[in-house]
Amino acid sequence: MISQAVIKHKKKRRTNWRIWAIFLPGFLFVTAFTFYPMIKMFVMSFFDWKIGFQQVSTFVGLRNYIDVLSDPTAHIAIENTLVYAVVTVPVQMILGLFVAVLVNGIRKYSVSFRLAYYLPVITSWVVVALLFRYIFATSGLLNYFLVDTIKLISEPIGWLSTRWAALCAIMLLGIWKGIGWNMIVFLAALQAVPKDQYEASDIDGASRIQKFFYITLPNIKGTTLFILVMLTIGAFNTYTPVAVLTAGNPAHQTEVVLTWMYFQTFSALNFGYSAALSIIITALIVIATIIVFGLSAKKKVTHYGK
Amino acid sequence: MRTKSVITFFLSIVALLLLVGCNTTVTEKVTIEFWHNYSEGDGQIQVLETLITEFEAANPDIVVEHVYMEWSALKDSVVLGSSTSVLPDVLRGDIAFIPQFQSLNVLVKMSDFEDYDTVAATVLAAPNSSNKMGDDFYGIAANTNTKILFYNETLLNAASVSVPTTLDEVWTAASALTSGQVIGMVEPWTGIWNVGPYIWSEGGDVLSPDNTTAEGYINSQIVVDVIQTLADLYAEGSLAGPSMNPGATGDTDGWAAGTYALQLDGPWRESSCIAAGINYQAIPLPAGSHGSVSVLGGEDFMQFKSSDEAHQAAAWEFIKFMISEHAQVEMAKVGQMPVNLDALENAEAIAALPLLPVFAEALQTAKARPVIPQWSEVENIIATKVAEAITGQKAVQTALDEAATEIDALLAD
Repeated sequence: MISQAVIKHKKKRRTNWRIWAIFLPGFLFVTAFTFYPMIKMFVMSFFDWKIGFQQVSTFVGLRNYIDVLSDPTAHIAIENTLVYAVVTVPVQMILGLFVAVLVNGIRKYSVSFRLAYYLPVITSWVVVALLFRYIFATSGLLNYFLVDTIKLISEPIGWLSTRWAALCAIMLLGIWKGIGWNMIVFLAALQAVPKDQYEASDIDGASRIQKFFYITLPNIKGTTLFILVMLTIGAFNTYTPVAVLTAGNPAHQTEVVLTWMYFQTFSALNFGYSAALSIIITALIVIATIIVFGLSAKKKVTHYGK
Repeated sequence: MRTKSVITFFLSIVALLLLVGCNTTVTEKVTIEFWHNYSEGDGQIQVLETLITEFEAANPDIVVEHVYMEWSALKDSVVLGSSTSVLPDVLRGDIAFIPQFQSLNVLVKMSDFEDYDTVAATVLAAPNSSNKMGDDFYGIAANTNTKILFYNETLLNAASVSVPTTLDEVWTAASALTSGQVIGMVEPWTGIWNVGPYIWSEGGDVLSPDNTTAEGYINSQIVVDVIQTLADLYAEGSLAGPSMNPGATGDTDGWAAGTYALQLDGPWRESSCIAAGINYQAIPLPAGSHGSVSVLGGEDFMQFKSSDEAHQAAAWEFIKFMISEHAQVEMAKVGQMPVNLDALENAEAIAALPLLPVFAEALQTAKARPVIPQWSEVENIIATKVAEAITGQKAVQTALDEAATEIDALLAD
C-alpha cells in the first residue's frame, strides 16, 4: 500500500515537470513579445520618452494624454478610423453572408467560386493597395473609363484628392478585400445549421426569406459575434491601405490612428505621444468590444428546437 | 554511460571554443562601417567601391564596410540604433539629418578634431555651414546641390511659351502651359524645401534671424502673397503634386510621360530626364523682387559617439579621403556635385556635369534651411499648413497664422 502511494506521488511530479516544460517556452515568448512591450508602452505614455544616446526621459504625468486629446489631427485620425470601422464592418459581413448563402446553395463549381472570392484575402495588402491607387488616381483607370470610354463626365474626378472621396476609395478596398474571409467563416457556420429545422419549416410552409431570417440567422449567431469582434479589431488596425493610397494626405486629412501614430513616432520622434495614442485606441477597442458583446447578450434567444 | 556522454559533449564544446578563440589572431585591422544612400542606378556605388579599394590600399590597417540604405531608411536606422548604440562609424546623409541626429545626442563634435579647421578650409563654406550648430561643427560637407528650374523644351515650344525671366513669368508660363494632359508645374511636397525659394526670392522669411520666432515671418504679407499665388495655380489646375493631391502623378513619372513642363528641382531631375529621353533645359530660378534665392541641399559626413577612439580616428581618415580632390572628381562623374574647392575647378568634373555652371551660379545665392534641433518638426507643420492653404481647405492667412502659433509653441519648449 505504501509503495503504491509512493509510486503515484512520483508519477505526479514527473507529469507536472513535463507540463511546465511544454508550457514555459511559449509563455516566455508571449511574455517577451506581447506582455512586456504592452506594459513598457503603458509606462512610456507617462514620460517624455527620449531614445537618444545617454538621454534621460522625464516624467510628465498625463501631459501626453492631454496632448493627444487636444490635437485636432488626432481627432481627424480617430474620426476617420471610426467611420472606416462603422462602414466596412457591417458591409463586409452582409456581403460576405450573402455570398456564403449563394455558394452554399450550389453543388457544382463551388470550389472555384470560393477560390475566386477568397483570392483577394490572400493577396498582399501592398499589391492591391497599389492597384487601387492606379485605378483611383486622377489620371487613373476609373477616370479613363468614365471620361474617355463611356464619356459620362467631361473632367476627371480627383478620387484621392479630398478627404471623404479618398476615404470612400480606402473603404472600398477594405470591403473588397475582406468579403472572402467573411464568406469562408459564414460558410462553415451555414453548413453546421441542422437540416431538420429546414425540413420542419418546409412542412409549415415557410418561404425562403422566412427560412433565412428565422432559421439561418439565429443558428449562426455565435459565428456572427466572432466575426463582428474580429472585424472591429481589424478595422481599428488599418494601416497599409491608407499609407499606400494617400499616405494620410492631403495635409493629414485622411490619417487613421495607426498612420498618425507611425508619423508621430518615426517622423516627429514623439514616443510619449504615440504611446498615449495607442493606449487611448486600445481603450476604444475594448469599449467597442464590450458594447458588441453587450448588445448580443441582451437579445433573448428564443428556443427553436434542439 | 549517460554521464560519460554528457561530459564528453561539454568537453568538446570547450575545446571548440578554445580553438576558435585562438584563431582570432591579432591582425590589428580596424573595420569601420559606412552607411550611405549613394544610388546604384547612377553608377555611384561602383565608384564608391573603387574609391574604397584605393583607400584600403593606401591605408592597410583600415577596412571599410559600406552599407546602402535609402534615404528614409537611413534616418530610421539611426533613430532605432541611437538607444541601442547600433550605429555606424561614419555616415553620409542629408544635411537635414544633422540637427535631428544632434537632438538624439549621437553625433561627434567634429570641430574638436585637431585638423578639422584645415580640412574645412578646403571645402565650400556655404554647404559646410549646414553642419554648424552654435559655434561647433557636427559634420563636414560631402557633396552639395541646389534646385534650379528645369523645363520641358518640347512642351514650351508646342505652347509657344517663352522661357521665363522673372518669377512672375514662371507663374504665367505655368498657367499658359496647362492644357489637355499637360500640367504647368509640379511640386512634390509643400515644405520649405519646396516653397522656400519662392518665399526668399520675394524677400520673405520663415523664422526670425535668430530662429526663435515664426510670428510675423511665416505669416507675413509676402509669404501670404506667394502661397496665394500657388493656391490660385492649384485651383486652376496648373500646379499639381502627390502630397497636395494623392491622386496626382508623381514628379518622375509625370516628367517621363510628358505631363509636367516646369519644376524647381535638383541634379537628379537631369539624370531621370536623360533616362526618359525628355528634351529638357535648365536655368537658375528666375529672380523675384529680391533676387534668385534657391534652397541649399546636399549631404554631409557624420560620425557617431558610439564608436571608440580607434574607429573614430579611422573614420576621420576615410572622410578626409572622400573629400579630397581625387575622390570628389570621381564622384562628380556620377552626378555628385563636389564641395572640394579644387574639384569644382577641375576640368574633368566640369566635363562630367554639364549643368555644373548653372548649379554653381545658383549655389552662390542659395540659402540653407535653419539648422535648429526642431527644424524637421517645424518643416512638417509648415508643409501641412501650406498644403491646407494651397488645396483651399483654409484661407491662406488663417493657415499661416496657425502655423506661426504652432511653431512658436514648439520653439518655446
